[in-house]
Amino acid sequence: MVPPDSPHNYPGTLGNQPIAVNFHAGSHYVGLRLLEGYLPKEKIKLVHYGSPVQRFESMLNGEVAAAVVMEPWIALGEKLGCKTVAEGHYLGAENASEDMDEETFAAINRAVENAVDLINADKRKYLHYLIDDPSFANAAAKYGGLTPEDFHLPRLRYTKPAVYTDEMVEDTYNWLTRWNLLSNEACAANLVDNRIAEPASADD
Amino acid sequence: MKKVVSEISGVVFSLPWLVAKDNGLFEDEGIDMEFVKAIRSGPVQHTENPEDVNPVLGHVAFEQGQVSIYRA
Repeated sequence: MVPPDSPHNYPGTLGNQPIAVNFHAGSHYVGLRLLEGYLPKEKIKLVHYGSPVQRFESMLNGEVAAAVVMEPWIALGEKLGCKTVAEGHYLGAENASEDMDEETFAAINRAVENAVDLINADKRKYLHYLIDDPSFANAAAKYGGLTPEDFHLPRLRYTKPAVYTDEMVEDTYNWLTRWNLLSNEACAANLVDNRIAEPASADD
Repeated sequence: MKKVVSEISGVVFSLPWLVAKDNGLFEDEGIDMEFVKAIRSGPVQHTENPEDVNPVLGHVAFEQGQVSIYRA
């Protein structure tokens, strides 16, 4: 996302321009995935700015050329006239400790699956969770805040928990090691354990 | 009820969990779910080198065994 008056309208002009991300988090990884389609590796200049509000405000005040943000910051930026120059989605993950037993994990997933059904039946009904979250609301207030009508609902995609396939893990592992974001000594077998996960059909 | 403590970070990622708790869906499954907020970073040292940043980020409670599950 770039400020309203930015000369940038697509990722190809962002070479050697500082782009705010949170290293080792979704904004870092999806930022690389979006930019590598337009720019050579040596021209991609990501800078660690930490939390969403730090990234968003550094973009808005022109300290960086662009920032990678997620909702509800995208909706706020668009309301302020900021331009989305690239948009991507990524798959979330549940990280459970080794002492999480199979029965408990399955019970949690059933509850989450039912919640996903509720959300997808009426997404706007639940947007107040995003709007009223103090880590967003306190910062967004000075920009006029948001209402549920400010969101582009198809951007919010909630699916039921499903296992990572070996192919997904291998592809992600190879991508991470290519960007030197994961030790070559790590391997899929000690990163992901699907033994306690029940396959579930993803909706949508 | 089985007690489970889960970390909540970005609300957009945890929305189904918040909705599940507020609608009694965890209770229906015999889960007493407690949420702990992830540590939010304030201003950070800007760097272009990912190796300068601890990849644990705000998930300290999980690393210390205070919560048993989180999402990212």
